[in-house]
Amino acid sequence: MRLFKLTLTTIFRQKSWTVGALLVLVMPFILPQISVASENAGATKPALAQAAWSMAWLTAIFWGFFVAARSGEHLSRSGLGEYFQTTGMSATRQLAEIWAAVLVYVAPLGIAAALVTIFAASPARPDERSMWLANNLQYAVLFVIVISPLVALAIAVASRFGGITGFLTTAGICVYGLYGVGYMKMLLNIEQNSLLSWLWNISPHYHFADPTERLRYKLGAIEWAEFPTLVAYFVGILLLYSALSRAIFRVKAAA
Amino acid sequence: MSTTTPQVKLSQGLAIGYTEPLAHAVEPIELGHGTHFLLARNGRGKTTLLRTIARTLKALEGKASARGNLQYVPENLTFEPGLPPLAIFKAMLPKSRVTAALELAERIELDVNKPYGKLSTGNRRKTNLILAEFSIDPGSASVLLLDEPFSGLDAYAREQFEQLWRDSSEQTLRLVSCHPDYDSMGLPSAVLILGNTIEHVRDADQTWSEIKGRLN
Repeated sequence: MRLFKLTLTTIFRQKSWTVGALLVLVMPFILPQISVASENAGATKPALAQAAWSMAWLTAIFWGFFVAARSGEHLSRSGLGEYFQTTGMSATRQLAEIWAAVLVYVAPLGIAAALVTIFAASPARPDERSMWLANNLQYAVLFVIVISPLVALAIAVASRFGGITGFLTTAGICVYGLYGVGYMKMLLNIEQNSLLSWLWNISPHYHFADPTERLRYKLGAIEWAEFPTLVAYFVGILLLYSALSRAIFRVKAAA
Repeated sequence: MSTTTPQVKLSQGLAIGYTEPLAHAVEPIELGHGTHFLLARNGRGKTTLLRTIARTLKALEGKASARGNLQYVPENLTFEPGLPPLAIFKAMLPKSRVTAALELAERIELDVNKPYGKLSTGNRRKTNLILAEFSIDPGSASVLLLDEPFSGLDAYAREQFEQLWRDSSEQTLRLVSCHPDYDSMGLPSAVLILGNTIEHVRDADQTWSEIKGRLN
């Protein structure tokens, strides 16, 4: 676990994780106060929930993937990857150890968003509150399943093509899956196009893992009968991206 | 690995290089425990040979093998600029070895609290060398391949490492690429890359002044 500990220490010492923690734990309480939600007492809690989850996603995308890409790039260009390889640590294990270390910082973002939303924005009615709790826990699980393979992909792409490429690739995929897919659906509703339709089908539908709409309009938790299907869909993407990441990952930059 | 006798073997006809052969072994070479120096002029294949033994590069022909826990310390090995050596040692060394590593760091005047990015070239080398040396498992055979560990290192630090190497030579094989900088430097075992051939020369009294003429 030497590479895991080294990466964990490196990220901790960079201290930028404190900004991420601040964004997820503090900003959800400030943002509703400076938005239109402050004019309507009933909108404050849904706004807080929306802010908490938006901060978690944005922090994961712009900070988490950046840290992952930087770690992957550094490993392959600093001689560290080659060093570890000669000590008998396989490329798969190196990828797994960096990935696990980055996830230690990124996965809690979703859990923190869920906790902030549960403790600070729960509805007053007991039946709504239990549904709110279930909903947030469901989305915390989905957050981790969606973010995990993208972290691995950021590390892998950066190890081969450089940090900027690793970051932009994964941030692009994630933003597209969260928001772009919805716009594509709007285009398809206006005009049917087989190419666009095919593209829409193979797109990663990360918007299913974004709870903001559901929380804002109190749509309730995802049906427990449907939840495993959703988890299976994202686990499928996880497996695909994990395999792709391993194929792309390299411990040593090209000479 | 439970073996207690480290070994590096280069087969006869071993050819090293990336696409074209840089050099080849004219006879089988077998290295045992202790320190062996790897000498050649610039660009003749010292790093290529070390990488071939470390198996991060394929031999073009023949075979290179190592027996023991292997570590190859590349010349360009660097850590994140913000990490001080203390954090590196704590993250990467077994707990039982950290104290001894810090004692050596103090003896050779390595500031373990200074960020790696602010260390001089010599002090970065000290960090890398301490890391490699104290990563060795004292109970089993080890093979340490060191690429230019002395560049930028002060004479005192170099002496300290050479003393450490003498004290732990029984279960460790070190192959050290370097450019000796004084004629009387003892080189009892040296692997030479002369033109495009790899040779092993051994003599307990052999010094750099006797070998350097062959490299020119």
